[in-house]
Amino acid sequence: MTAYLVIQLARFGDLVQTKRLVLSLCAEPDSEVHLCLDESLAPLARLLYPSVQVHPVVAHGTALARLSAGEQARLLLEKNVPAFRELAAIPFTRVYNLNFSPLNYRLAALFEPSLVRGHVWQSGQETVGQWSRLAMRWSSMRRLGLNIADFWAWHHPSPVPAAEVNPPAQGRGKGLGVVMAGRESRRSLPPKVLAGLVTGLLDLRPELQKGGCLTLLGSAAEVHAARQLVRELPTRHARLVRNLCGATDWSGLVETVGELDLVLTPDTGTMHLAAHLGVPVLATFLSSAWCFETGPYGLGHLALQANLECAPCLESQACPSQAGGQVACLSPFAAPGLLRYLSTQETSHLPPGLTVFASDTDGLGLTFTALAGPDTQADLREHFRTFLSEHLGAGQGEPSAVLHELAERLYTERDWLVPDLESSASRLNGFSSEIDDNLSIAAC
Amino acid sequence: MPERKGARVRILVVLPLYGGSLPIGRYCTAALRQLGHLVEVFEAPDFYPTYKALKGLKVGTDRLQYLENSYLQVVSQAVLAKVETFEPDLVLAQAQAPLSIQALKRLKRDGVTTAMWFVEDFRLFTYWKGFAPYYDCFAVIQREEIFEELQAIGVQNALYLPLAAHPEVHKPLELSVAEQRKFGSDVSFMGAGYANRRVAFRELIRHDFKLWGTEWEGDSVLEPYVQMDGARVSSEDCVKIFNATRVNINLHSSVQAKDLVTGGDFINPRTFEIAACRAFQLVDRRSLMPGAFSEDELATFGSMEELQDKIAHYLANAEERTAIAQRGQARVLGEHTYAARMQTLLDFVAERLPGWPMARATVQAAEGLPPELAGDIAALLDRLALPAGTSFEDLVWAIRQQQGKLGELDTAVLFLDEWRKLYDKKGGQQA
Repeated sequence: MTAYLVIQLARFGDLVQTKRLVLSLCAEPDSEVHLCLDESLAPLARLLYPSVQVHPVVAHGTALARLSAGEQARLLLEKNVPAFRELAAIPFTRVYNLNFSPLNYRLAALFEPSLVRGHVWQSGQETVGQWSRLAMRWSSMRRLGLNIADFWAWHHPSPVPAAEVNPPAQGRGKGLGVVMAGRESRRSLPPKVLAGLVTGLLDLRPELQKGGCLTLLGSAAEVHAARQLVRELPTRHARLVRNLCGATDWSGLVETVGELDLVLTPDTGTMHLAAHLGVPVLATFLSSAWCFETGPYGLGHLALQANLECAPCLESQACPSQAGGQVACLSPFAAPGLLRYLSTQETSHLPPGLTVFASDTDGLGLTFTALAGPDTQADLREHFRTFLSEHLGAGQGEPSAVLHELAERLYTERDWLVPDLESSASRLNGFSSEIDDNLSIAAC
Repeated sequence: MPERKGARVRILVVLPLYGGSLPIGRYCTAALRQLGHLVEVFEAPDFYPTYKALKGLKVGTDRLQYLENSYLQVVSQAVLAKVETFEPDLVLAQAQAPLSIQALKRLKRDGVTTAMWFVEDFRLFTYWKGFAPYYDCFAVIQREEIFEELQAIGVQNALYLPLAAHPEVHKPLELSVAEQRKFGSDVSFMGAGYANRRVAFRELIRHDFKLWGTEWEGDSVLEPYVQMDGARVSSEDCVKIFNATRVNINLHSSVQAKDLVTGGDFINPRTFEIAACRAFQLVDRRSLMPGAFSEDELATFGSMEELQDKIAHYLANAEERTAIAQRGQARVLGEHTYAARMQTLLDFVAERLPGWPMARATVQAAEGLPPELAGDIAALLDRLALPAGTSFEDLVWAIRQQQGKLGELDTAVLFLDEWRKLYDKKGGQQA
């Protein structure tokens, strides 16, 4: 039995996006896969990954932050010490520590550094492997991007094919689901804009009303926004509303989403859940959201991507082109041309500032193809994906000046001079643990 | 264990790349820990092999100097990074510690208190003039003249801090017969072959004499007496030599051979170390000696004639040797340990720098925990040799200093620390 541990301490969406790595590990012969995550997500993890052993810890804590220091210490230590003890007792062959977070680094202290991929703790020093360092560099070229699920999956030498991760999207008969907001409010459409889109979709695609309901999804924090949306909707649609914001547990959410025909959503955990279940997604990506990084995984999904020159931006920075208190890239979502485009598929109707992308897969992972609107970076992205494929041993491209430039930009002296366990050579050699000494031809 | 006076503080000891002040830096580190302070060490010797490798390049002088300076700047930056993470109350630099002026300016700008213990002869190692003004406190092993010079260049906080012994290392030993045979003799000297010693020791070879240490090459008279082919002697073996020798000669070094017994001012570390071993020594008189030892605690000499006479006398009088050695040891253990020196230094810093150390908002490591968890934390503190009242922040650092993979409680404490930082930043409130 080969035991693997995946440490995923981030949020709902990240947990779902860990799927390709988890499946790749599960696909190994005689493997036993463990997942360490925040306790709030443990029930969901058991639903998503029934064959995986779940190890909940206390990592998130917005609610706990209001407690006294002593109470916090008691709570975290009482829960985490036994959980850490249990983890330390399992003879893992490999630990995939996914998040660039101080919590992940500290948790890695439980394990021999040579076993850990991603974010490593070496006798008090945080270190990061070559694959993650490379990702930090390409993150400055966000318009190109690699889907985060693929980034995590490629910690594995040969992840399962992208097309096999999620079922192809297919409607399930219970109409339209609308996700009210994600964690980052600027990425979400305000109720008024959202109401226009919902109305248009329901009118244009009557089959979405066949289920007899319009399902609103979100946390309890979105109850107010859901009411606002209902107020903005015409009565014929408002009467269909089933407002489930804050009303579902994880299994309820999985069940509800799994019955829908289409999910209209910003970049949210529920979007990834829909993709996981094979429910078609129509995603609205604006502000800091970029579909090539975190778009819905699998075939049969669409992303309406804001494509202003400044996109994708940083959520933490004020929008310099803000108008009426709203980010500049919001306006195309409110333009009448969008609905016209959705009804006719006629490219000329698509408002400027938007590109419609359809999900697709290649040898590297998830990608998107522009159906309408510009994709100015398509050629460069293709080269970037070739570069990464070559780096990962997942494909070979024709030599070109652009590839050469990418190599010069993305590789640094550190990669070249001091190759580590995550370097491309080590990867191609199957992550042999004796790689440091035996890597080069000269040493063979 | 010596008792700590004042607050428990965080100290970053910056060791030199190599050299005589390196073991002293290590003794200071151990002493500060004994005093109950949280000490982190900048291991500059780890960087020395690379520095030396540059010298093997066989390139032009200008190029080599450029590379050496650049490398030392990198090492200096590494010290700054350590300071940034550890947030010490005091950076204690040993002589030759790799801190550039640029780095010292940065520390001053950031309000980090710095001190140097300059355990060198200021007349020989004159570079102190360029660096001393950038330290908040500057401790020296000499008096008067250097104090005036320090004041002249703007150093207000100068401290006389003589060398010392570290009783955990410098102590009486029960030697085996083989060790006694290897390390023992009637008369010996342990140290480097300075010019005055080379001449002086020619007069000692009529005794059962052994010469230990380095830099004795090329002296045909003394070479037959040099032990271990003139190899560097470890601190452990030095202590064995002191213990095994009837009369340890301790002649302070001089680069000139005109006056063999120079009558200089500072007291070398060997004086304290031999005494701490309850071993007998004949040491040349120094002007600063009366403040450290009384006449019956050390046997001294002022000339080579006196040395010869006293060697003969004390070789013949074992009881006198023992009595003096016992008194000398008592004085060292009472006053001249590195723990005592570090306490003096910290008292001085606190006296001269109002508001030092700055108060930290601290929570005790076990505060607010239920009995079982508090017991686990107490056991962890015990394992890490930390006192019961240790703050949570200091516990985190002590855990971080451990090597290899950690246990579940250690990891959970590190995790808790980062969790607090994360959620404090996000506006969480802590009582």
